[in-house]
Parts: sequence; C-alpha cells; structure tokens
Amino acid sequence: MSRLVLATASAVLFTAVVASAQTSTVTGRVANARGGVIANADVTLHLLPPPGQPAMPAMPNMPGMVADKTATTGADGSFTFTQVPPGQYAVMADSPGFERASQELIVGAQTPAVTLTLSALEVPGAEPSVAAAGAATDPQALLARIKTLEQRIADLESGTVLSEPETRVKRIEVFTDKNGVEYEQPTPGAKKTITYQRERVYRRQWLSEKLEQAFSDQEAKRIAVGMSAASVTQFARQTSGPPSTSNGHAYQLASADLLFSAGLAQYTSFFADIVGLSGAPPDAERHGLTLLNSYSSRLVQNNQVNVREAWVKTELFSQKLALVAGRVDMTNYFDRNAVANDETSQFVGDALVNDPVLVLPTNGSGVVGLFDAKNGLSIRAGFQQTNADATNLTESIYTLTEVGYVARPPGLSEGNYRVWYRSDNSTGTRRGAVGLSADQKLTPIFTVFGRYGTGKVDAPSGDTSTLFSTGGRFYSGGFQFQNGLVFNPLDRWGVGYARTVVPSGPSESVVEAYYNFRISEKLRLSFNLQHLLESPVGEASHAFLFPGVRLQASF
Amino acid sequence: MSKVKHFIVAGAVAAGLCPVIAGVLARAATIKVPDPTQVVMIVNRDSNEIAFMDIKTKKIVGKTFLGNNVNPHMVMMSPDGRYVVTGGTRANKAYIIDAHTLELVKVIPVDIAPEHLAFSPDGRWYYQGNPQGDSLSVIDMVSLTKIKTIPGLVEPLNVVFLADGSKAYVGNYGAHWVGVIDVRRHELLKKIQIAEVPGVAKLDPAKYLGEIKGINIPQITNDGRYLYAADTDLGVVGKIDPREDKVVKVIRVGKDPWRIYMSHDGKYAITPNNGDQTISIIDLTADKVVATLEAGENMTGVNFAAGKAFVISSTSGFVYTYDMKTLRPAGRIKIGTNIQLETATTDTADEKLYLADSTENAVVIIDGKTNAFEKVMNVGLYPWGTHIMDSKDNYCH
Repeated sequence: MSRLVLATASAVLFTAVVASAQTSTVTGRVANARGGVIANADVTLHLLPPPGQPAMPAMPNMPGMVADKTATTGADGSFTFTQVPPGQYAVMADSPGFERASQELIVGAQTPAVTLTLSALEVPGAEPSVAAAGAATDPQALLARIKTLEQRIADLESGTVLSEPETRVKRIEVFTDKNGVEYEQPTPGAKKTITYQRERVYRRQWLSEKLEQAFSDQEAKRIAVGMSAASVTQFARQTSGPPSTSNGHAYQLASADLLFSAGLAQYTSFFADIVGLSGAPPDAERHGLTLLNSYSSRLVQNNQVNVREAWVKTELFSQKLALVAGRVDMTNYFDRNAVANDETSQFVGDALVNDPVLVLPTNGSGVVGLFDAKNGLSIRAGFQQTNADATNLTESIYTLTEVGYVARPPGLSEGNYRVWYRSDNSTGTRRGAVGLSADQKLTPIFTVFGRYGTGKVDAPSGDTSTLFSTGGRFYSGGFQFQNGLVFNPLDRWGVGYARTVVPSGPSESVVEAYYNFRISEKLRLSFNLQHLLESPVGEASHAFLFPGVRLQASF
Repeated sequence: MSKVKHFIVAGAVAAGLCPVIAGVLARAATIKVPDPTQVVMIVNRDSNEIAFMDIKTKKIVGKTFLGNNVNPHMVMMSPDGRYVVTGGTRANKAYIIDAHTLELVKVIPVDIAPEHLAFSPDGRWYYQGNPQGDSLSVIDMVSLTKIKTIPGLVEPLNVVFLADGSKAYVGNYGAHWVGVIDVRRHELLKKIQIAEVPGVAKLDPAKYLGEIKGINIPQITNDGRYLYAADTDLGVVGKIDPREDKVVKVIRVGKDPWRIYMSHDGKYAITPNNGDQTISIIDLTADKVVATLEAGENMTGVNFAAGKAFVISSTSGFVYTYDMKTLRPAGRIKIGTNIQLETATTDTADEKLYLADSTENAVVIIDGKTNAFEKVMNVGLYPWGTHIMDSKDNYCH
C-alpha cells in the first residue's frame, strides 16, 4: 500500500515536471486609471478558440472544454498563472466598482508581462461601490468624477428631458376583508376584488414619442370620422334587338358616404354610415332583373340623404361571438366573396357583387350574430325588417343563415366556401332560398369565384315586378388578377359572368370586365365594360353595352 | 514507508489540491447562472435591468441593474455563453454582463439610441445597431471595447451574419436597401435595393414623402443559402443571393409587412402584414405565397413551436395560431384584456414560448402543443422582450 502511494505521488510529480517543460508562466499587474495598484482583483485567463471556429458555450462538464484559470492579485496588484499551455488567450480583470478590463494575449516561449487598467464603473442610480469610492478620494480622481458628471448633465440637456415619471392606471387584484382592509396577498377572511390604482414609471422618452402618445390617446377617445365619395358614369349602347329609348344615353350616379365610429365600452362600438346619392343610374331608366349599378341597391331613395347603416356591435365569449344590432346592411356580413363583393373597387353590377336570390331587403332594423373562432369555421345568422312601413317586425322578417369555411385544397392556396339559407315572410307566406358562394386562389395572383342561388319569394298582391315571384335561379362566376399582370403593383382587374333566370319569366345575362387603378392610398380609378343580354317574356331579346368609369375616394 | 514519508506525500497532495478547491468554492459562491442555456433573459425597460429566469423553476434567479433612464431594448447571450449584452436606448451605451455572475462588467458608449444587435458566429464581434445615429457600433468581445462605428446606414434595425462570418447584412428601416458589411474590415461594402418604388408613387406624396417604412431585417434561411427581406412600404419580400449579393426574386405579400420570420423546418417564412391584418406564408422552395390568412392588429412577432406558428397581436391581447402542416388558421389564444403583448422567444426544444407582457409586468409561458399558458408575474417593470440562448426565435421589435 505504501509503495502504491509513493508511486502515485511520484507519477504526479513527474507529470508536472514534464508538463512544465511545455508550458509558460503568465505574469501581470492590475492597476487603476491613475496608476495605483488594485489588490484582491479577480483575474481570469480564458483560452480563445482558433480563428474561424464557431464559439462554443462555456458550460461545465462540456467535453473538450478547457477550464479558465483564475487568480487573485496580491497587495502589489500582481498576479501569476503557471503551467499555461501555449495558445491565444483573453486575460480579464474584475474588481468591485470597476469595469472589467480584458485584452488578448498570446502565450508562447516568451510571454510578456500584462498590465490591465481598470476604470471606475458608473451606474447612475446604483449604490456607490466602497472600493471605487475609496479610490476616488484622490484629488485627481475627484476631478475625473466631476468631469464625468458634467458630461452626463450635458447629455441630459442635449437629449429630451421628459424625466418626470409617467403615470398609468392599472387594474389590479387585491384581497379585501369585511372591514374593508386591503391586502396584496391572499389573506384568511379576505376575498378577491378588483380595483384600479395609479402607478408611476420612470421612462425617458423623446419629446416626439411623448407627443405621439398623447395624440394617440386623444384619438382613441374621439369619434372617428371618415368619408368616401364615388362617381360612376356609364353609357348605353344597344347592340341587338328592337330599338330601345335608352340607346345612346349617358348616366351618372354620385355618392358620398360619411362614416362615424366610436368605442362605447369594452369590445363595444358604434358605427354609422350616412350616404347621399344623386344622379341617374341606368337602372332608373331600365328595370332589369338586377341592377347595373350596385351603388343604389338596398337604399330607399335616390337624390336624398339616406342612413345606410347605424348599429352597435359588441363581442362576447373571448370575442368569438359578435352581435350587431341596429340598421344593418346584410351584405356586409353574408356572402362576402373575396373578389366579387365590393362595388367600390371590384365589379359595379349588382349581379356580380351580390346574389339576387338572396333578395336582400332594403337596409333596415335587424340583428346579426357572427361566430368565428378564428380556426377557419364561421357561422353567421341574422334577421332584418323587410318592409320599412311595417307596423311590426314579426310580419315582415327576413332571416339569413350562413356557414363558412376556409379550405386549402391540395396544391392550392386558401379558398373560402359558404352555404347560406334565407327565409322571408314579407308577403304573408314564408319562402326560402338556398345558395353557395366560393372564392378560391389558384395562384398568388389569380383567384376564381362562383355563386349559385335558387329559391323564390311571392310577389305582394297586385305587384308583378318583384323578382322571383315564381321562383328564381342564379349563378355567376369569374376571376380576378391582383399583384400580377397589372400595370401598377396594387391594381386589380377581373371578368365575371352572371345569369339570372325566373322560370316562366324573364332571364338576364351580364358579363362585366373592369380594371381598377390604385392611384394613391385614397384614390382609385376604374374602367369597366358591361354587356347585358335581356330576354323579357313575350318580347324579343335585346343586348346592350355599358362602358363606364368609376372614381372612388376614401378618407 | 515511514510515517514521515506518509506525511510528506499526503501534505504535497493536499497542498496541490487546496488552491483548486478554494478556487472552485470561491467561484461557485458568485455564480448565479451555471448553465447559460437554462435561463430566459428578460429585458425590463422601465426598471432598467435584465432579469434572468430559470427555465425549469420559472423563478427569477438574478437581475442586473444598468442604471437610471437606460431603457434597455434587446438582450442577447454571446455564442460562447460568457456574456450577455444589451443596448441602452436612452443612455446611448452598450452594456456587457457576465453571464455567470450576472455582474455588469463593462459600459461602452455607442451612438444614438441603440436598439437591436447581433453577434458574429465566432462570437468575436458584437454589432450594436443605432437607428437614430444611422450607424453600427462594432465591439470587440475580447478587449470589450468599441473598435469602430460604421456610418452610412439609414435607421439600421437589424443585422444578420452569414454562417462563415465573412459578411453581415443590415436592414435599413429608413430606406429600401439592405446594407452589406465586410466583417473583416467592418465597412459598408454595398447596398442592395430590394425592389423599385412604383412610378405611381409620385402621385401619392402623403404616403411616400410623409414617412418611410423600409426594411426591418434581411433574415437568413436555415441553410444559410439565401436572405429574405420584407419591405414594409412596398409590400414585397426580396430574396437575396449572398454569393453574388443580388436580388434574385421579389415576392408580393400583404399590405405593410412588418418583417419576415423563418419556420424552424426551413420550409416556410411568414410575414405579418399590419396594413391588412393578414399573414402571408411563403413557400421557400417555390418562392411564392401559398397562403394569406386573417390575423390580428399590430402584430409584433411570429414564433414557431409544436408544428404551429404563433403570431403575436400586440394590442388585442391575442396570439393567433396557425397549423404549419395544413397552412390553415388554428384559432387564437386570449392572453388578457387591455394588455399589451411585446415579443417572445421559443425554447430550444420548440415546445414553449416565453412572451413578454408589458402591461402586467409578466412573462407568459405558452405551451405550444396545448395552447395552455401561465403567467410569471413581477419579472420587472415593462418587460419588452425575451431571449434564450440558441433559440431559433430570438428577435425584438
């Protein structure tokens, strides 16, 4: 046993002797900025990876990792590392109250002595370090400190100076007992309550940031006002059929919408849209199955100011369910086809931005519920008064239900698919209709759409001009290009076809093409061309071309 | 062997071991973070500190105070795990913290309003972006000194290094070009314009002359082969080949894309488009948008975990989720009411997100598989961002 111990000790000693023949000694000194020594400073010698090699995390027990060597300076500020293998190192010195000093060192056959100089660490607001404070009694050190403080004041003066604390109100949970005493932590006999309290934060902001925030806060409290104006000019050119009085006529419809929105409560908002229409659209002269200019659809009176919409909306159940009540425009919530829904920037004709079989009533009092869990499935249901002169809602109620789904067919981008059912009792008999609507991106720039609807609604007694009095069938389809094959990046253009058939009644086909220029964020200009083929009952068919220009401004 | 010899040998061994043991004990007493990969770093803007939270215990193990009115912005661990660095936006300084002892060891003056930063792959260089100074500060992590300031940039927001460390690419938010930096000389080599401003722009001075929102970051693909940069004003993503430093493809996305984020499997990239509240999912093989999906308002970040993308809607309090296999929406997580969410990091196992909630002074830990979350409260005042070493989702806004 004793021989074993002796042999082990000898082996250790021999290894040390051999190793020291290939290693070096690194010596140095740690001083402060004025040349004074710093005793008891921690010095670390860290081996650097070869140039070009990625750095590895310095975790304990990591294979291949060479541990740092550490030492402490003596009373004269000196330190020594022995048995240092050759290589490239970083030597670092730390002492409380001072910034770390670090420099690169190449250890070889002859390694020069290292001098590391530590500067005082300035941390405004922190407790002053005793070591640094002690070192600062020197007059030169005091002068250096004054200079630093002067520079800080200069920095402060040159930047923004809103250093007064910001305050904000926070909603907090506290625990209140029966005596009203408030506790911050759960306490026996106290129940959890919610209260509001102001807190202060110290944040230096630029003046512009502060102003921007103030304006933003003000804007959030105000009623937001927006405006939208449009002018649609169309011409009629008959291409076939018996001569018509509207051949060669020009039409123009101007509309201006004034929009208001405001927050009323948490997740509850108010919106109103007042519109004024003026002019003579082509539909004033010809009474087709669908409107050639959808701007005037579902509005009571032309050449007057109308309230298009005015409603309150609230969101419930983690905002999965939205309820809208008031004067509503059902087209804003149902059958919202991505490329054939907006008469201000897509097709102008109502047959291509809506489904006539929906027989959407004039905007009126109603309620719409929208369930959307943001997982691709949505369910919508709504009802609305159909007759503005009705004395009660029950006898003139229109209901609509829709289920929508965001699908992604194999190899294609996203597509929206909707199926709806509507019911209307305004003629005394409840009539229903069902329809489909879809829009599918085939490529990032090309989207196709389609609609289908079938159903009927009885005409009121003595009125033979109501659509679908004996039932109706409608289908439409088309496509849109956007973000590609356009003149300017945000332009879009599309072509659509719609066919409306009333059994034993008239039929109508509309083809429309449009190109929408995005001139600026607020201004769009469109050119559109509609071809209308009407087949009235007992008369010869006639066809028209309606070229048109649309200018749309939004604020 | 005699007793004297026993004593001499034992004494020699003990004498050799004692300093080692003492040294270990002395260092262990000051080490607060033994393993830098096991902490989440939290930037607390208003308390002017960096907090360190243990991933396993979810407890704050230490904080490093930087000074009054510093307002740190982004924090990062050096690749070797030795240092934690941050820029103090209101102090115009860079701060270097020892990653094990959590002591502030160096304060380095940089340019105006430092925000985002990056390390070279070998950990030698720390590039600190100074958007309001229109420059990058170059800090040597060996000498811990600033060795150069690179001028000529325009509101530089983010820097990305190539894997070989030869070049770095800078996103300029005040312009429509990506800057190419020679890392050997720390100089701006060239400017790569992502896309042309459309001619019709001169008809819209209110938009194009009022304010410019250019390029946030040229993000590198997982294989390091290409960089993709989203231009907010132009609504496009440009693909850059760093071998030739040229744009090889321009992909149109939604309106006002904030920046681009790479999925962890390297197949897709996502741009949150704050102009129309959608996200665009780009197939990086085909270089085209394969899905445009509804999202939320004021999106500040995208993280990936458990096969899903998590899109942070800052002011709505929601995190929107998307299935990255089917590329369809997968619901949304309501974090709270009247709160502001900032940015998040993802752990290296791609399982959990650590999201900064500045209103509640909390970090929200979201389980990527179940969408369940818990809040770690009182991490500091106004947590602005989080960072985990080697996470694939380390970013700032």
